[in-house]
Amino acid sequence: MRRKGLRRTLHHIVLWLVAIVFFMPVFWIILGALKTKEQLLAIPPKWLFVPRLANFVDLFIRPNITTYLITSVIISVSAVAIAIVVSFLAAYCFSRYQLKATNLIMFLLLSIRMVPAAATVVPVYLMYVAFGWKDTWLGLILFYAMFSIPFSVWILKGFIDGVSPRFDETGLVNGGSRLHVMFKVVLPQIQPGLVAAFIFNMVFVWNEFLFNYLIGGRRTTMVPVALSTWMYAQAGVDWTFVAALTTIYMIPLILAIFFFQKYLLIGMTFGTVRGEV
Amino acid sequence: MADTSGVEYMVRRPAWHTRLLRSFEESGLFSTALLVPVLIFFIVWNIIPLLWMVGLSFYNYCLITGVPEKWIGFGNYLDIYSNFNMWNAFGRTFQWVFVTVGVETVLGVLLGLLFWGSQDLPGRRVALTMIFTPMILAPASTGTFFRLIYDPTFGVINYFIRSIFGMSIDFLGDRAWAFGAVVLVDVWMWTPFMILITMAALGAVPRAELEAAEVDRLPWYKLFWYVILPHGKFILMLGILLRTIDSFKVMDLIYIMTKGGPGNTTETIAISLWRKAFEGFNMGWSSALAVILLLVAIAFTSIYLYVLNLSKRGEVS
Repeated sequence: MRRKGLRRTLHHIVLWLVAIVFFMPVFWIILGALKTKEQLLAIPPKWLFVPRLANFVDLFIRPNITTYLITSVIISVSAVAIAIVVSFLAAYCFSRYQLKATNLIMFLLLSIRMVPAAATVVPVYLMYVAFGWKDTWLGLILFYAMFSIPFSVWILKGFIDGVSPRFDETGLVNGGSRLHVMFKVVLPQIQPGLVAAFIFNMVFVWNEFLFNYLIGGRRTTMVPVALSTWMYAQAGVDWTFVAALTTIYMIPLILAIFFFQKYLLIGMTFGTVRGEV
Repeated sequence: MADTSGVEYMVRRPAWHTRLLRSFEESGLFSTALLVPVLIFFIVWNIIPLLWMVGLSFYNYCLITGVPEKWIGFGNYLDIYSNFNMWNAFGRTFQWVFVTVGVETVLGVLLGLLFWGSQDLPGRRVALTMIFTPMILAPASTGTFFRLIYDPTFGVINYFIRSIFGMSIDFLGDRAWAFGAVVLVDVWMWTPFMILITMAALGAVPRAELEAAEVDRLPWYKLFWYVILPHGKFILMLGILLRTIDSFKVMDLIYIMTKGGPGNTTETIAISLWRKAFEGFNMGWSSALAVILLLVAIAFTSIYLYVLNLSKRGEVS
């Protein structure tokens, strides 16, 4: 569509305004992280001030916050990595061997992901207490792996379906083993699916609060739970702390959606909707 | 003499472990073996808790009273059925889902249409990242920060309201405002998702039909109704369904912001369950409620897959 210059410019200005409106609260958090406590609570709100990094320094001087960040990284990365390996095997099986149970299992996997977390917390909590898995690294990592498997299977199956079975046949005829075909022929072709599955499951695990609060404990606290337990200072909520921690915690995610924007749609709809943004 | 080295290579038998691997791969066991890890996860983290939950729902089992658990059959279910608060919570949940998804869909479609043909927007990638940021943030931390933004004395919003109307509103503490205030945060978080879906739906419209519509000078509402909707409707429906399911699930955002209060004005069914289970420690009763929620979720999933299959059939034909 060819449009006149002025109309086009107006259109662009409106689009940028929309972007700014949606980003405003996030921007406010980031600004808050750079202010002093008095500036943050100042009325009227302060837009111009001398930014300072003292809040971030304070964050890392506090005991434990670094530990929580490292815990978050380790738990989410390892959980999602395990989930993706397991899901790849299953997705390959669903895609290539027409098992009778395929549709049923795919349906069950999706429905567990659709169940409200509140409905599963009770039995999972009791199970973890009974088995002594509460506040163990493995217990949390494997739980989050389970949490990530349904979406990963759905995303990866869609992508493996898109790779023609002829690749497999050619590989087998030429003397490659099944495993060779899976990992050396099919796997490289579904890289976008792997990236999408990885990032979007990471987002969910990274931000997860309820289960970490319940089945985690002192050793396995991740940042969102740490935030809600540490935010109270002597006089009410320590807002600069909240702002600084939130800012640090969201930077990796914002970078991820900046660099992997074309996978956003696949990731948010677990591969059922494809398309360009 | 012909060179026979190649032939010799072909007839050489592979080593025993390779042969074993091959015969395993060719047997029917291999496909099952691929599923074993998923099935283990599925059984340990889903079947066991599920059975546990269904079993518990028939007991009167409270963690803190110290009374031993007692089989009461469908007693918990009957109690939920006759509990007036539960009906209110269900009503509020549906109200919540209806309002959030409705507003997000309308707003998302409108803004998505606005972004149509914006490939030449300078800094498009940055702008889109800014728009999509709300939906990837941790509800626990954004919810916390929104408590400051809504705060009657220190909040930004109340600063503007005070300077215009000369009074401040305690958004999260006032029965009249709390529900709307939490809805607004959810709308802020998830409208970007509907924008994303709308953009994908628009991408599904064939270029040729758009050009034909332009040649015919179709007015915009006809363009939307006759050209865009037939191609994009399945993607839109999938998006709306996903939002419905997610909105039904929301819990941490509401819990962090209001804990279900003031009164019960923001207490959705998920919050009721949480309170009963981890403030009242009544595990049997909350398990029964969880079973009901599970059934609702399965119903939603079935509808989702039904639409998904419809859309796939639509693509084929």
